[in-house]
Amino acid sequence: MALVGPNGAGKSTLLHALEGHLPVTSGVIELSGSPLTPALARHQIALMPQRSAIDWTFPITVQELVALGRLFGRRPGCCDVEAVLQRVGLAGLGSRRLDELSGGQQQRALLARTLLQPASLLLLDEPCAAIDPPSRTNLLQVMRQLCDSGLTLVVSSHDWGSDLDGYDQVLVLDRSLLAQGAPETVRRSLGDLRVGHECCG
Amino acid sequence: MADSWWLTPFAIALVVGMLCPLAGTALLVQRRLFQVNLISHAVLPGLAVALFWGIEPGLGGLISGVLFALAAERMTSALPQGDRNREAVLNSVLAGSLGLGVLLIPLLGIRVDLEAVLFGDLLAAGPRELIQSLVAFAGIVALLVLRYRQYVYLGVDPVGAQAAGLRVNTLRFLLTLVAAAAVVSAVSAVGIVLVVSLMAAPALLAMPKARSLRQALLRSALWGLLLSGAGFVVAVQPAINLPPGPVIGVVCMATLPLQLLRR
Repeated sequence: MALVGPNGAGKSTLLHALEGHLPVTSGVIELSGSPLTPALARHQIALMPQRSAIDWTFPITVQELVALGRLFGRRPGCCDVEAVLQRVGLAGLGSRRLDELSGGQQQRALLARTLLQPASLLLLDEPCAAIDPPSRTNLLQVMRQLCDSGLTLVVSSHDWGSDLDGYDQVLVLDRSLLAQGAPETVRRSLGDLRVGHECCG
Repeated sequence: MADSWWLTPFAIALVVGMLCPLAGTALLVQRRLFQVNLISHAVLPGLAVALFWGIEPGLGGLISGVLFALAAERMTSALPQGDRNREAVLNSVLAGSLGLGVLLIPLLGIRVDLEAVLFGDLLAAGPRELIQSLVAFAGIVALLVLRYRQYVYLGVDPVGAQAAGLRVNTLRFLLTLVAAAAVVSAVSAVGIVLVVSLMAAPALLAMPKARSLRQALLRSALWGLLLSGAGFVVAVQPAINLPPGPVIGVVCMATLPLQLLRR
């Protein structure tokens, strides 16, 4: 599912609320029919934060960053880490320092850390922001493969371009819900909305 | 015996030389190194009050350093990250706490060698100061060993660390506490004004090309050991005969070109 809207629309706020660490002011968030609690969120939901939230110059290897995905309980072994790195197309790069990777590779390393968490719902906050077009295409392919493997992905983006067609569902936000549905339906609804706005001046 | 007068001060210089860079590196990767500067200036009021009440001055300094650091953190927490007003708040607390400490000395009618507190008096330090620095050293090593992965997570991704269920505020408080203990232990060696040099310079030397926080911590401790030891040895040479604290501070500053070359 894509969560689309301009900057300041509330996409990250919604993702952080879904992730269970931002209290909601009204309404209830339910996950598979049960009210969402921080403990439930920790076991079912994983959040990949925005690129700007990460200190990319921190002295850390890709392997160590990915291993942070499983902070509690059994520590992940080299095989676990290498397996998720392979899933995101970074096999063999585990011993590199994080700042030795390209922007797209860094995003995939962060995605690998998210994948190591025991979660079935992944919330990705602007994963394609500030990376070059080939890296973006690569990342979108990896995300599609993850969906095909049975994971649910909610991806926020402020891009209204053709990438939207790759999602099953699109939800458009701008401080409130503007439209939701399949990409085509949403494009149509937004077109009607734009005409409505123009008619009303 | 008369020839071994330098042994205890030298041992303190070496322990403090490892202790301060460990705290400095841990704070630098959290982007909180300025807090050391604040804590170091804020130990003076507690030190003065402790002397007045006749309790351990180091304990008073530790409490007041931590309290002022927490107060400053509380005041800046309402401001967004990168807001220039944050720096203004921190500097105001830093100057204000130092001013309060200086004022408390005449107000409480106590006698304090202010020069020794500000710039250190390593040659007058004894076994008590050595034990104090060893305890602080053990404390920071224990914290960094036991909570290593949590501090890595907190440094690389503070938002994610909170979301992952880490007790971020507790981790930050514990680091503030050991940083304050490091500052108090270093007062006898380099004084509250110069301690930040021993926290920052070895950390800066250790960071480039370090592949993990563990490697950066070890390297910074080794650099600190070298710089502090070298500063002490240079200072006590009969031909030079200068106070070791300021010499250590100058030696640390002299490594800045080396730090730029290593990048």
